[in-house]
Amino acid sequence: MTTPAGIVARLEANGWVAAAPTPHPMTGVSESRWIAPEHLVAAAEAVKAAGYFYESMSCVDRLEALGGFELVNTFARWDAPARVAFRVLVPKDGAAPSLTGVYAMAEWNEREAWELYGVAFTGHPNLTWLLLPEGTEYRPLLKSFTAPPPSPYDDSLTSPAPSDG
Amino acid sequence: MTTPTPMADPSALLDTYTLNMGPQHPSTHGVLRLVLTLRGERLMKVDPVIGYGHRGHEKMAENRTYAQFLPNTSRQDYLSGAIYNFAWCEAVEKLGALAVPERALVARVILAEFNRIASHLLWVGAFLLDLGGWTPSLYTWDDREAILFLLESVTGSRLTYCTGRFGGLSRDLDADFPARARVVLRKLKDRWQEYEDLIEGNVIFVQRATGVGVFTKAQCQSYGVTGANLRAAGVPYDVRKVEPYGAYPRFQFDIPTRTESDAFARYWVRIQEMKQSVRILEQALEQLPDGPVLAEKGLGSKKRLRLPAGTLYYAVESARGAYGILLVSEGGTEPWRAKFRTPSYPNLAVLQDVMPGMMMADAVAVLGSVDIIIPEIDR
Repeated sequence: MTTPAGIVARLEANGWVAAAPTPHPMTGVSESRWIAPEHLVAAAEAVKAAGYFYESMSCVDRLEALGGFELVNTFARWDAPARVAFRVLVPKDGAAPSLTGVYAMAEWNEREAWELYGVAFTGHPNLTWLLLPEGTEYRPLLKSFTAPPPSPYDDSLTSPAPSDG
Repeated sequence: MTTPTPMADPSALLDTYTLNMGPQHPSTHGVLRLVLTLRGERLMKVDPVIGYGHRGHEKMAENRTYAQFLPNTSRQDYLSGAIYNFAWCEAVEKLGALAVPERALVARVILAEFNRIASHLLWVGAFLLDLGGWTPSLYTWDDREAILFLLESVTGSRLTYCTGRFGGLSRDLDADFPARARVVLRKLKDRWQEYEDLIEGNVIFVQRATGVGVFTKAQCQSYGVTGANLRAAGVPYDVRKVEPYGAYPRFQFDIPTRTESDAFARYWVRIQEMKQSVRILEQALEQLPDGPVLAEKGLGSKKRLRLPAGTLYYAVESARGAYGILLVSEGGTEPWRAKFRTPSYPNLAVLQDVMPGMMMADAVAVLGSVDIIIPEIDR
């Protein structure tokens, strides 16, 4: 079954679906389910075999409400208005399974989640900085992050103004 | 290709050398660096280095109200800014269940399709420039200029449009807009044959673009390649057709596809797409209803709009492919999270798989053919 309903039926039959930690709905998708982290790779393999392409992966800071990070993976079809979302709750200081072995684009999306939030991914071949300068130690998309430390490339405040002579 | 790829055999890298293409290379169209590993003239490995233009749009979205974020949208993809601007409005309208007047829905289609043609025209000119063809860009710039004047008369901007408001548009189309728009469409329709003669009649261009940079369907699925790049690989996927939004369901248009999936096929698909956009525009100008273009003035700004708690995924077809917004609200006046799925991001990433094995001289042709916009990759 390649329809979103068929995918979800298969997830539920295999016991891959986790209890929803938040009552807030997700819209704009045909089906969305919370997936137990240990079954995410198997679920992604099933959705890939059903012909879905890798659309997006977003990380959401849920530390205050749920004590972890929410990863929202969306997959869609080329031939029908079908989109399924797999939501995963990764506990703080925990690690999420990497989808790089299933969908190649997961490599960049997971690097982004790692550098911006500090979410670790097990099985990722190259978990390093993508958008931020190499060696950046702060995690700018955390809600607890408010102001960036002075940039090592910006010496406008410390060095004297250049003279015209 | 008979050349071993480094993924399969790391020792294949032993007698290679490394070349930095960018970050200031003219054919990267923005600040992008490709670290190329070469053996002789053949590419062994391609590592894109991105992030030079990272401005933290997603963090900015969390620190300002929904309306205050409006100007950011068109600065992600500066060539199809109107499409991104309306996408943000439509996502907020969907999550907040806000009504939009009929005239605004059709006017958004008109502005977005003109924007799409302008974006494709710039791409055609720049792509040909990459391959050493000067003349076509002079023609495409001329046509694009006519569209920019038209859009400027409505939006006040030439590039970073910000006319979208929650519940409609900030400005109405003038009474003489349809007449002026038809003049531009007439001019464009007279051009297609000229373009064909000038570009497709050029042996050098055709030979350089044919057969290079082939994307397989498996690569497109694994990376999430969309837009003209996917349609050139034989997949008729267009968000406007598969998940119609706004006023698109009421217009007739086709999705041009091609099966070769090479640089030439991507060029051809974009040319055909411009013709389809003209078709949509002719119908939209004909069907443009009367009435207000804004449901309620100052809906986003004055009332400090609050959206109900929830997560929304909203997709539109930009000039480069499927643009998606993941919008998370916790009930406050600012978004809790906004994530932008920009089409150039996978369209660039797939080159890591596509380019190894090809000749160095083809790298420019292939990079040019995928139509990437760096600011939307870096966000």
